Amino acid sequence: MATKIKARKKGNATEILVLVQHPMETGNRKDKKTKKLIPANFIQTMIFSVNGKTVADASLGIGVSKNPLVGIRVKNAKSGDKINVSWKDNMGKTGSAKTTVK
Amino acid sequence: MKRRTFLKGTVATSALAVAAGAGLLRSGQALAAGWPTAAFAATDLAAASKAVFGSKGAVSKDIKIKAPLQAENGAVVPIKISTALPDVKSIAIFVAKNPRPLATKVDFSGGAEGFYTTRVKMGKTSDVFAYVNSGGKILKNSAMIKVTVGGCGG
Amino acid sequence: MNKKLILVLAGLGIALGAPITASATPQDDLKQFQAYYKKRFPTVPLEAYKDGVNVLPQYADQVENWRLLMEFPPYDEEVDKAEKLWNTPFANGKTYASCFKNGAKGLAVGYPFYDTKSKQVRTVVGDINECRVRNGEKPIKNLKYGDMARLAIAFKMRSNGKKMAVKIDSPGAIAAYEKGKQFYWARRGQLNFSCAGCHVQNAGNTVRGNVLGAGLGHGVGFPVYRTKWALKGKPLGTLHRRYGGCNKQVRAKPLKPQSDAYKNLELYEAYMNTGIPIEVPSQRM
Repeated sequence: MATKIKARKKGNATEILVLVQHPMETGNRKDKKTKKLIPANFIQTMIFSVNGKTVADASLGIGVSKNPLVGIRVKNAKSGDKINVSWKDNMGKTGSAKTTVK
Repeated sequence: MKRRTFLKGTVATSALAVAAGAGLLRSGQALAAGWPTAAFAATDLAAASKAVFGSKGAVSKDIKIKAPLQAENGAVVPIKISTALPDVKSIAIFVAKNPRPLATKVDFSGGAEGFYTTRVKMGKTSDVFAYVNSGGKILKNSAMIKVTVGGCGG
Repeated sequence: MNKKLILVLAGLGIALGAPITASATPQDDLKQFQAYYKKRFPTVPLEAYKDGVNVLPQYADQVENWRLLMEFPPYDEEVDKAEKLWNTPFANGKTYASCFKNGAKGLAVGYPFYDTKSKQVRTVVGDINECRVRNGEKPIKNLKYGDMARLAIAFKMRSNGKKMAVKIDSPGAIAAYEKGKQFYWARRGQLNFSCAGCHVQNAGNTVRGNVLGAGLGHGVGFPVYRTKWALKGKPLGTLHRRYGGCNKQVRAKPLKPQSDAYKNLELYEAYMNTGIPIEVPSQRM
């Protein structure tokens, strides 16, 4: 599942936005054809790090939209700082993306 | 009955039992370590906020919520939380009238600002709450977002 | 010219406070069409109509949906796929760019157009398939979403920021334009609505819980990424996909994408959009 990341200046801070192509299934929906419940399939954790150090640890639930966007802001980011985001869903699947502060 | 008691989401309840009752587990699925199961399973705002912060929180106008007054589509409602409150340790977003009000929370470990943005699902018109842990103090604010189902839209 | 159409045109005449004759030139139509919206929404400049319903004052309570989504457009992924497709060579080694002047840069402002040689209205979608066939590939069958929508995005993206400037400059073009205009103003379906009834006379009003967008600007942002379609796994839509959907909503029979009626309608709407900059894809609910 594709994970995209954008980092841009917002005043003195750097805003980090992550967009993941993920179904974020609640586990409460029925498949229209089979009439069976579609199993819950959603991102649970998303960790943001700057130069290898964790700055934010996000927990997501089924109330977050499909193809979720998650964003934070970090202060004092310098040009060249390496930003990484890694996520894990309830099925054990993982994804990540990285970018460098301009 | 037993299942309902589990879903009340008290801290003492077994997290696995709660998750099972909430239909969040299928065979073979593991819980991500540190994922607040009880908080996500809680079915009302009071229980959910208590599970996350241990407190109902006090209203603070210093928490800004940017969101549409009316959602275009209840499945994708963008929310932006920002605050200049000092020492923000965590932020959580609750949709009060959702079957499970806690949508997401984030814990900061130094370097991050009091800012969090995402897109949430809303089942119906509801207050959306932003809770902030500012240096140990639990503060909150809310915004009402209307959800209608339009008849057109091809 | 049928009675119904005359009545509808007369209705617009009353709304504008000036007589509209069925024999007006396309240039006269364009002036009156754009002047109507200028009067109805005095705070909205012409170029803003590329953003559709989002710019109407009646949408103020909902516009934050679009603004916030556009901070990281949900269609980002699709645009990447569109570029990849556009740059993937055919079996013969040529690419889509080779079919079009300047690799299609700036071309979309003149689409659709009436081709006097082939005596038909040519659209971006039609020309993309023409390009495929000319290079030994099969035409794409699905003209509503998927790869054709992506390719149309890639083509039109190369005109982003440039103003619509469709030409109606031959008897054939005028005839096709008039057919499109007739379609736009004629009532249809069990609900007996015309395109104009909603998007001209009721632009900005709320009908069945939805604010109606202005007809001015229609199509400039297509192909479109719709939240509603994305939730069902088919996020993109060509203009003709939307025409079909709209016809269905008034309980009229949806026509096939790239049918003559829809191509003529597209020509009429594109001409009415003269001066509005292209921005593709657009994001809507």
